[in-house]
Amino acid sequence: MKSRYFMGAAAFALLAGAAQAQELKFAPGEDARFHWDSFEALKATDLKGQSLKIDGPWGGVDKELFESVIAYFEAATGADVEYSGGDGFEQRVMIDVEAGSPPGIAVIPQPGLAADLAKRGKLAALPAETADWLKENYAAGQSWVDLATYAGPDGAKALYGMFYKVDVKSLVWYVPENFEDAGYEVPTTMEGLKELTAQIVADGGTPWCIGLGSGPATGWPATDWVEDMMLRNNTPADYDAWVSNEMKFDDPKVIAAIEDFGSFARVDANVAGGAGAVGSTDFRDSPKGLFASPPACYMHRQASFIPSFFPEGTVVGEDADFFYFPAYEGKDLGKPVLGAGTLFVVTQDSPVAQAFMKFLQSPIAHEIWMAQSGFLTPHKGVNTEAYGDPTLKKMGDILLGADTFRFDGSDLMPGAIGAGVFWTGMVDYTAGKDAAAVAADIQKTWDSIK
Amino acid sequence: MDNIVGTKSRLVWAVNLCALALVLLWTFPTFGLLVSSFRDRDQITASGWWKAMFPAEASLQYRAPAPDSAKLVDGLYVLEGNVFEGGAGKVSAFGTSIREPGAHEVGSSVDAGDGATLTVLENGDFTITSASAMEGSRGMRIFATTVTPARFTVENYDRVLGAEGLGRAFLNTLTVSIPATVIPILVAAFAAYALAWMEFPGRALIVAGVVGLLVVPLQLALIPLLKLHNDIGIGKNYIGIWLAHTGFGLPLAIYLLRNYMVGLPREIIESARVDGATDFKIFLRIILPLSFPALASFAIFQFLWTWNDLLVALVFLGNSADQLVMTGQLKNLMGSRGGDWEILATSAFITIAVPLVVFFAMQKYLVRGLLAGSVK
Repeated sequence: MKSRYFMGAAAFALLAGAAQAQELKFAPGEDARFHWDSFEALKATDLKGQSLKIDGPWGGVDKELFESVIAYFEAATGADVEYSGGDGFEQRVMIDVEAGSPPGIAVIPQPGLAADLAKRGKLAALPAETADWLKENYAAGQSWVDLATYAGPDGAKALYGMFYKVDVKSLVWYVPENFEDAGYEVPTTMEGLKELTAQIVADGGTPWCIGLGSGPATGWPATDWVEDMMLRNNTPADYDAWVSNEMKFDDPKVIAAIEDFGSFARVDANVAGGAGAVGSTDFRDSPKGLFASPPACYMHRQASFIPSFFPEGTVVGEDADFFYFPAYEGKDLGKPVLGAGTLFVVTQDSPVAQAFMKFLQSPIAHEIWMAQSGFLTPHKGVNTEAYGDPTLKKMGDILLGADTFRFDGSDLMPGAIGAGVFWTGMVDYTAGKDAAAVAADIQKTWDSIK
Repeated sequence: MDNIVGTKSRLVWAVNLCALALVLLWTFPTFGLLVSSFRDRDQITASGWWKAMFPAEASLQYRAPAPDSAKLVDGLYVLEGNVFEGGAGKVSAFGTSIREPGAHEVGSSVDAGDGATLTVLENGDFTITSASAMEGSRGMRIFATTVTPARFTVENYDRVLGAEGLGRAFLNTLTVSIPATVIPILVAAFAAYALAWMEFPGRALIVAGVVGLLVVPLQLALIPLLKLHNDIGIGKNYIGIWLAHTGFGLPLAIYLLRNYMVGLPREIIESARVDGATDFKIFLRIILPLSFPALASFAIFQFLWTWNDLLVALVFLGNSADQLVMTGQLKNLMGSRGGDWEILATSAFITIAVPLVVFFAMQKYLVRGLLAGSVK
């Protein structure tokens, strides 16, 4: 009886899981927005019969999108590329590298992790001309090169990775029609944003949805807030010093930035569910408050990827929109932008892996994803007309119009800090612990790993 | 019950109450999961599963058709539609601004701005009329407080098994757990017989070694074992995970089965020997049938453990669709669909369905298994 049950389920699963052939999303040569010449040029590389494994953090929608890009590489070169990414990538890649079965290419969201792998000799350095190419063709090229240049096992510095797909983090999401109904204007200064926050509270509404929950990574959204606040209260040089710990974590400047975040998140009236709910609300659930009726909140500060978690059918640009998380008018620090990106590194060298890295330099690799959703690129050679929706273009403009661009600090800090006590410390802070005490604890851990 | 020898404890009712509480504690969330898996996303957001049988009151946002699609009727521009879009329900109040979503009674005509008038009826039909032409490609929002009847759907299962890849993962998990249950039992049954009934030097030492292995945490062996698999060319695939599960399961299997076999009556085995039966024949004809309860109970343990395992599968199998087990797929869904409770509840229920079936179907062996080896 039971075996028949299994058989039925198995047969159903077989039907459901029948291999889906990956087709090219946009027919080559048709749409004039794309650089089809770079696709044609790729056909010169013949990699028939060779296979490549790629592992990375993208699952779900992002996985499908990335596979649609890979399809072009496969179509042009004949190589067989398999992307098998998803949750738990950081642990998976460490296990595979340790056990001697690494993927061909790994997509790493934290430069700190890549630096660690490079130092242990687990990564293949990229050819020297790639660095020159990046400097030439990426906006703010030098900084992207610097972020991917690490010391190898012999101590010699080399370029190990290439950034592909970046996120802008300094964004505030809102529902334009809710603003319209309530008569609110989009603020252009931090002072204005604080006034708007106070006004929404005075009108009986709740201004913010903030959620820090993210399973084992709970707390990371708060680190983005603090980084943004650091950039808005201090100079970029201070920010860099903080990230490298030349400026101590319990420096008054850092504590002031944490408290500036607290002025939003630690006031019960400011946050949906009260300050106590901040730590326990999942970051994927929290933007849903924007769309509730009556609205649970009016604003949500989160990176450019968050529309993936909006309710189904939400049209970004119409149902929901974003504005730049503004800077203080009175502090004269320009318009700083916080961002992040994913880094492609070669974990097992082969001609096909090198060819794929080369493919990522071609405009077409960027344009295919741009034309769909959730992709920003610093590549200057792409046709920005290819962006699938106007909001992506607007984000791209924020990226290009930034006076200061800084990479997510917690991703650059050592793992024990940036993916450890900084996260948990921020949860403690939102739960009511003193900012100075939290900062001192984080510094203590940092001292202990030096 | 009065005819039972000895005095009945006065606390028996407390024991029964505790048992009842534990049963409720265990079945209540499971039942909630089952109910949630048949509800759609809107219902889950609107009310808890315990209200699933009753009509639910919810606030609804509806976007009216684009103003430039308005029809000209008797000199008025008119837009018509139904806020339920074909679904059933009742409107109890409506509004035109998100600040007051329930400001107006059904049936009343209210000013919707720009000279337009909005009327919403109880059945959800609405009419927007305006004397002048309406412009724009974006329809106005209509807010309504609605009461929708209870409704159940199997769409979640359809979606999860197909598009979300859980059907394939289900098959992968079966591919892992069935051989990973059968192989250790085969090996352990032979080993247990040898350790229980065959005389050879060093037997006690081997038994002690097996008991010692019971306390070694398997996490210690994960990476070295994977390294070994890579070196000898097995790599990351099903053979690797069967071997790993076999290795990790063997100490407990041998220990349980040996203790059970040692307890079998010596006379049967000795008379079989006298009749000239070989060890293999004794094992096959006498020991194996008699040990069935112990074999079954270990099979249940091993099956449940390999079914629910995430760690070993993460290490010894890849992350591609043809190797991802159900626990791994569930973990991925937590990441990519973390907010979609209907998807997660359905996936979770599919994941626990087989352990539930195994548990209920083979309950009596499970209890015997708990006692195996401890009581002679």
